[in-house]
Amino acid sequence: MDTPASRSVYVAPSLMAALDALDEGGAETAPFAGGTWIMRAPIRHEPLKSRYVAIGKIPELHAIKVEADVVEVGAAVTHAALAVALTELPEFDVLTAAASRSANPAIRGMATIGGNLATTAFAAADCVPALLCLDAEVEIASRNGRERTGLEQFLTMRSTLAPGRLLQRIIVPRRGRKTVHARLPLRQAGDYPTAIVCLAVSLDDVGDVQTARVAVGSVEPVARRWERLEATLVGHPLNAAWAAEAAAGLADEFTGRDSVEVPGWYRVRVLPGLVRRAIAALGS
Amino acid sequence: MGLSLTVNGDHLTSTADPITPLVDVLREEFYLTGAKPVCREGFCGACMVLVNGNPTPSCLVPVALAQGHDICTVEGLAANGGLNPMQAALEACDAVQCGMCFPGMVVSLTHLLATRPEATRDDIRAALTGNICRCTGYERIIEAALLALATK
Repeated sequence: MDTPASRSVYVAPSLMAALDALDEGGAETAPFAGGTWIMRAPIRHEPLKSRYVAIGKIPELHAIKVEADVVEVGAAVTHAALAVALTELPEFDVLTAAASRSANPAIRGMATIGGNLATTAFAAADCVPALLCLDAEVEIASRNGRERTGLEQFLTMRSTLAPGRLLQRIIVPRRGRKTVHARLPLRQAGDYPTAIVCLAVSLDDVGDVQTARVAVGSVEPVARRWERLEATLVGHPLNAAWAAEAAAGLADEFTGRDSVEVPGWYRVRVLPGLVRRAIAALGS
Repeated sequence: MGLSLTVNGDHLTSTADPITPLVDVLREEFYLTGAKPVCREGFCGACMVLVNGNPTPSCLVPVALAQGHDICTVEGLAANGGLNPMQAALEACDAVQCGMCFPGMVVSLTHLLATRPEATRDDIRAALTGNICRCTGYERIIEAALLALATK
């Protein structure tokens, strides 16, 4: 057992107790949710923190509230629980698919939505682009209160969040859009995706795209929207072949990340194909 | 102060560091060597155990957070020395392989048999997504699972 004998794990019984422990622990303390990233730190040759605050026993972090205008998801909700909760809400097909196809069944029962969003170095997170295309916001809690920010903004600041702050919940607006999640793993299942394309569109009375959100994950180090493709899609009917052609012309804005699995250029090369699949799944 | 664990119905105490992966405590303190630490990333399934009845890669569970839960390893699946129906089907179908991945396969399939009696071939394949076999002997394992489901 290759672990130093100076670490501790505190199981927080409440949100306030967790925030107190995180605040008092400072930079050497981190929240521990599903653990599917933290426990692999030795594989990545990264040091573990000296103290972890386990948040899995905090009831409000496991809550999923479906309201008329928003869905609120506690940060410790697992991928498996999220997929089950959203099954009957077709406007969240993109998120249901992301949560139910990532990794493998056992991991989906452990990995949390909050961990997926807060893990800075995990580029292949399925739920991040799904939530980006749904215009999600996040709420961050600390001893001093709560602050709400857009997910895009959160992704730029998450690596520099001050100690003592905890992603508490995700707020997703309900806009009745058609949504879809397209991913390309190297194997059929149980693998990290090479690239992810998530799409949310609303259509006007004649079937033309009125609004579009396209988010791309796993290609670059951080998932982001593909705004030029969004603008191109607006005003046109859903057409998979045409959209793929448009995507091919716009894909040069991405710089793919190299990894042992695939070279960066390949991640970019497959994007038009994923756009084609995504649009086709929406019924072009 | 030690960590209190319930493993295969036995109440055991570990003196390991709290963040130590459960698989290491099972093997090195309790000598339950069925679970194998292979990838240590939750991908291969060789360390799969049941935690409160759910298949869980024990490489990703810190031993401190295993306290208060019922842990069942492959050694605990054969009650009173008799094979459970899934194990018996695997033996009957000559599906038993080298032993690296196999304990994890047995754990995952035992859970499937208990929770999804109507499971199809595709359901079995999906349930084994997190169990990787380097012998690539999946088909006989799936046939054994179908047999176990059919005779349940």
